[in-house]
Amino acid sequence: MALHLNLLHEEKLEQRQRQRDPLKIGIMVLAGFGALLFLYYMFNAYRTLEIKSRLSAVERNWTKIEPEVTAADKRVAELEGIIKTTSALDNYIENRFFWAPFLQRVSHCVPPNAQLTSLDATVLDENKGISVSLEGVAAGREPRSVAEDLRQMLIEQLGHGYGGVKAEFKTLEDLDTIVNVGGTNMPMAHYLLAINFNPSPTAKSAASPTPDHTRKR
Amino acid sequence: MSPPKLTKDQIQKLTFSALGFVFLLYVYFTFFLGPLNRSRAAMLVTIQDLQSKLDASKDKMKKAVSLEQQAKTATSRFATLRALNPEGAPIAWFPPRIKTFFASQQIDKAVARLENSAAFKEAELSGWTKYNWLIDLPQADFASLGTAIAELENTEPLLSITKLHIQILPSQPQFQHVEIAAASIIEKR
Repeated sequence: MALHLNLLHEEKLEQRQRQRDPLKIGIMVLAGFGALLFLYYMFNAYRTLEIKSRLSAVERNWTKIEPEVTAADKRVAELEGIIKTTSALDNYIENRFFWAPFLQRVSHCVPPNAQLTSLDATVLDENKGISVSLEGVAAGREPRSVAEDLRQMLIEQLGHGYGGVKAEFKTLEDLDTIVNVGGTNMPMAHYLLAINFNPSPTAKSAASPTPDHTRKR
Repeated sequence: MSPPKLTKDQIQKLTFSALGFVFLLYVYFTFFLGPLNRSRAAMLVTIQDLQSKLDASKDKMKKAVSLEQQAKTATSRFATLRALNPEGAPIAWFPPRIKTFFASQQIDKAVARLENSAAFKEAELSGWTKYNWLIDLPQADFASLGTAIAELENTEPLLSITKLHIQILPSQPQFQHVEIAAASIIEKR
């Protein structure tokens, strides 16, 4: 066995000790770990930048479209308001009671030997119907029957266009006055008629009788 | 193999290194990675929010276009109803208009007076006001009156007669004294 002499023993030991220096190892480990953290940070920063660019693109799109959307929103609200208002106004217009057809019917009911002196008519609140008060005088051999004929005629004529027609005398009394009708002296009666009815759906849609019979809008 | 024996100086350096490591981690997470992640999360939320707004905006635009088509009739009708009444205070233009109207129907001396006005309770009619008028016709004959009322009802769709009083004139039996209570809907301007 050959003898092996290590003449650099001390020098090599010193070198080994330098290599095993815990501070040096620690610094190297720390530097390696720091490098890993830095790489991880860079990776995250890259993702963040990518997301930021996506955000910028989306924001650009939104900025471009936002005024149109706001205008569309405003227009939709405005149109919805117009539709509702028009519907409410149409409803009001359609639910009006037309007086001209009523007056026409009343005028057809009055016989030559009866006269209306007063007509008082009111649309009751909340579409509860129409209330009419007719006052007048009737002349004839039997003036009361003339007045009764007028009442019957009113019920019949108004019944054609309206619903729930009720006509009743509030007053019916003979007058002392004698009137000359067609060269014949006849007694007279004074009457006060109370009429109530509901405008039926057909009556609601019937326009007033104008020369051209059209409802202008 | 036994671990190398550390000198006091080396232990001190190792302790400093460990402390430095902890400090490095703290700084890294608190001042670098944490804010970066928070900012990214916030941006993602913003993107999601904007994306949902963009998606909804397409529906809104479609709805507006479709509603515009559907509301054509209502819009033109609304414009027609608005155009029925001129601008300005109704008390200034309604009575002369009524007087002119009845004069054109051979009924003179028509006088219209404002009784009162009231706002509507319905939300859809909040921009409109109901005016109650009393129209006095001191001298009218029944036939002309009937024609005039028919014409009035047809040409003034926003006017509704609520009361009608016709009284014979004892001095002139061919004429009647007429009082008309009417309500008209007029837009607030």
